[in-house]
Amino acid sequence: MTSSHDPQLLKGVLSLLLLHLLAEEESYGYEVAQRLQAAGFADVLEGTVYPALARLEREGRLATRLVASSSGPARKYYRLTAAGHQALADGTAGWSRHVASVDAVLNRPLSATPPTAPQRGS
Amino acid sequence: MPQHTVTWLDRLRIEWVVWSLDQRLYDLHPRVRVARRREVRANLLEAAMEVGAAEAVRRIGNARTLAEGFRAAERGDGPRYSWIAATTFLLTAPLLFNFFLDEAAKAYQQAITATSPHSDGTYIWSGIAWLQSSVTIVVHHGEATRSGGAWTPLDYVLLLVGAIACGRLWRALPRRSNTAA
Repeated sequence: MTSSHDPQLLKGVLSLLLLHLLAEEESYGYEVAQRLQAAGFADVLEGTVYPALARLEREGRLATRLVASSSGPARKYYRLTAAGHQALADGTAGWSRHVASVDAVLNRPLSATPPTAPQRGS
Repeated sequence: MPQHTVTWLDRLRIEWVVWSLDQRLYDLHPRVRVARRREVRANLLEAAMEVGAAEAVRRIGNARTLAEGFRAAERGDGPRYSWIAATTFLLTAPLLFNFFLDEAAKAYQQAITATSPHSDGTYIWSGIAWLQSSVTIVVHHGEATRSGGAWTPLDYVLLLVGAIACGRLWRALPRRSNTAA
């Protein structure tokens, strides 16, 4: 599993990952963070996940409900709304296009010898 | 399955983080602040039971960064309104403005007493146009007393406009929700 990710790249896809995880299963904040870490994003801290969940909730892509917990305070469970499912579908399609475009460039063969840098005049 | 016992010290540590976070969410709606406090506290307690309070607190990160994340989630990434900026303007602008008006009236008074120190009489200065009512200076045996020079209604309007502009308070107006049904 990857132990570190480009933070800028991750910032762009974190919402999509959270939407997918919550589409799989309704979860509360800490559990979502744990599932994200178990999926290979070990460097994504809870402090990054909670505001991202709050943003998705404000955008109407997530709905919440409080569920009593035997081990402590009530947990706030997140689940996708219809808008959330739509955003997930759009985001997944966009990500696939993005990956395909990036792959198309990265898979081009490179010349065997890198071009030499032009020399500066003294 | 809980692996760590959460002691009172751990709870205090968690409460400190929650309190620090809450202090930085000052400009959010109280209902939102309560919800964030409860959620972060519940998540921290859960994490403390699994990985220990120290690790749980470390993993949630800096309270300032977390608060900024929550504020950006609620208000968006762009410039936001600030009650602190508006209040600071409301507290400091009158002090500076009064100082400026007083200095202007004092200059007029000193001009009178310097040019004719022994001429008794009542002198009226119309004040700074639009911003100040007329100032009356009475000179008697070389002693000058001053009255008037109050704020005009325009000053209060300018103060209000300045506070709104300084704090970008129009952003505090409730926004139309764009959430899908």
